[in-house]
Amino acid sequence: MAEYFPILIYLVAVIGFAAVSLIMPHLVAPRKSTPVKDMPYESGMDVHEDARQPLDVKFYLMAILFLVFDVELLFLYPWAVSLKGEGGVPVDHRGPVFVVMMVFISTLGLAYVYAWKKGVFEWRPK
Amino acid sequence: MTIDWNFLWPLGAAMVIVLGFVPVAGLYMTFIERKLAAYVQDRVGPNRVGPLGLFQSIADGIKIFLKEQVIPSHVHKSVYLFAPTIGLMCAMLSIAVVPYGPANAEPGPGFRAIIAPGVDIGILFLLAISSLSAYGIILGGWASNNKYSLFGATRACAQFISYEIPIGLSLLGIIAMTGSLNIEKLVAAQGDGIVNWNFWWQPLAALIFFVAALAESNRLPFDLSECEQELVGGFHTEYSGIKFVLFALAEYTHLVTVSFLTVLLFFGGWHFPGLTGPVDATVAGFLIRWVVLAVKVSLVVAFIMQLRWTLPRFRYDQLMGLAWKGLIPLGILNLLGLVIVLTFDASRWWMTILSVAILVLSGMANVTMAQKRIQRKAASRMAMETQYS
Repeated sequence: MAEYFPILIYLVAVIGFAAVSLIMPHLVAPRKSTPVKDMPYESGMDVHEDARQPLDVKFYLMAILFLVFDVELLFLYPWAVSLKGEGGVPVDHRGPVFVVMMVFISTLGLAYVYAWKKGVFEWRPK
Repeated sequence: MTIDWNFLWPLGAAMVIVLGFVPVAGLYMTFIERKLAAYVQDRVGPNRVGPLGLFQSIADGIKIFLKEQVIPSHVHKSVYLFAPTIGLMCAMLSIAVVPYGPANAEPGPGFRAIIAPGVDIGILFLLAISSLSAYGIILGGWASNNKYSLFGATRACAQFISYEIPIGLSLLGIIAMTGSLNIEKLVAAQGDGIVNWNFWWQPLAALIFFVAALAESNRLPFDLSECEQELVGGFHTEYSGIKFVLFALAEYTHLVTVSFLTVLLFFGGWHFPGLTGPVDATVAGFLIRWVVLAVKVSLVVAFIMQLRWTLPRFRYDQLMGLAWKGLIPLGILNLLGLVIVLTFDASRWWMTILSVAILVLSGMANVTMAQKRIQRKAASRMAMETQYS
């Protein structure tokens, strides 16, 4: 774990950097708020209704699909690292591993084709 | 507890270089970009402050700090202030595992041009941290309580997660060839001559990676999250002064990281014909390698900036279509070709042939399909016209 210690120190430094640059101008710069300045900037129109409204269902579908693909991708990484080289898959096991990976990737492909046929990737009505 | 200076001073030096270089580079990249934009549009650009306008960036920097700090009354204050911080934090943290100068595969004592050397999961760490930047955007958009901000943030987030997958797919190839996730080792594997650069074996993956990484760093032609004509400023509409600059700095940091990664992973990093042996054997060799890396990275940065003035912005459905219908199937096909070549121990040049074949064939299929679609549309229009005439 010793390799990760620099990252921890660096993380503290970066948070400090961001915090200092956020706080510094608040001490130096002038502040004078007026009612108009405090309004939301929506092209000069008076605001009506809350901004936080329900979103298009497309975005939720994207998020679900992303989870499916990203998790599958995560499983591919250990396999890619151990495909060649010492300590990886032994030569006589390569055949079975190859078949297993093909099955794995084809399930990914199946999910992909299903999503396409269902029209998840269509962002405009036809 | 004793303080280990042999461990601390290289870390401190590396950190000072990154934390000092990134903000200055961000300011000066803004300047270079403005100058480039001016020349492309037949203007002069900033030329008033200092010789050739070179002090413009310094003036901008001072102005940012002295600018009025507006926190609008309708925002969720803590989240509003937290969002730019987390955006910058993720962008800066992902540099920790990227060597910004020559670094040996085995970390030795003394100065190293990388903050955290020898991290075995380098690329995974990078992908994980940089995908956290989506939080900065979505939190900023939500906290602003502005419709443009929220739309921009949602768009940006969907774009961000969509292009995450092609990036992951495109890197599998070089990882499988090298058998490591450590970026220094990935670069070291490209050491012997120019033909060993990963680009020659994985040209399609390099293309996918570059396009997807461009979209990840929100650069034109993919800056749908902040397109001015539709969304004012996108997720940072309500941000001004230093809070806006933190977002902008995060974006430029992403740009720098992407340029470094493109060079390190696909174009041989600091390797160049004629430069052999360990990187820190002599001081001159070390510096020459650093210059080689810097020149390569600058070329990529210049290329990205030129793209901005060459390509028009995508439409949103085109953008999502490019990720899901273009890059992801190409990435999966590329992965299949690679698995077959590596499992059956064929020559690596087969990967090149397969990559190019996949790209050409899919391009031809695409054109044929588009032609058929146009013909179908024309036929249906003809039928309509005869019906009503």
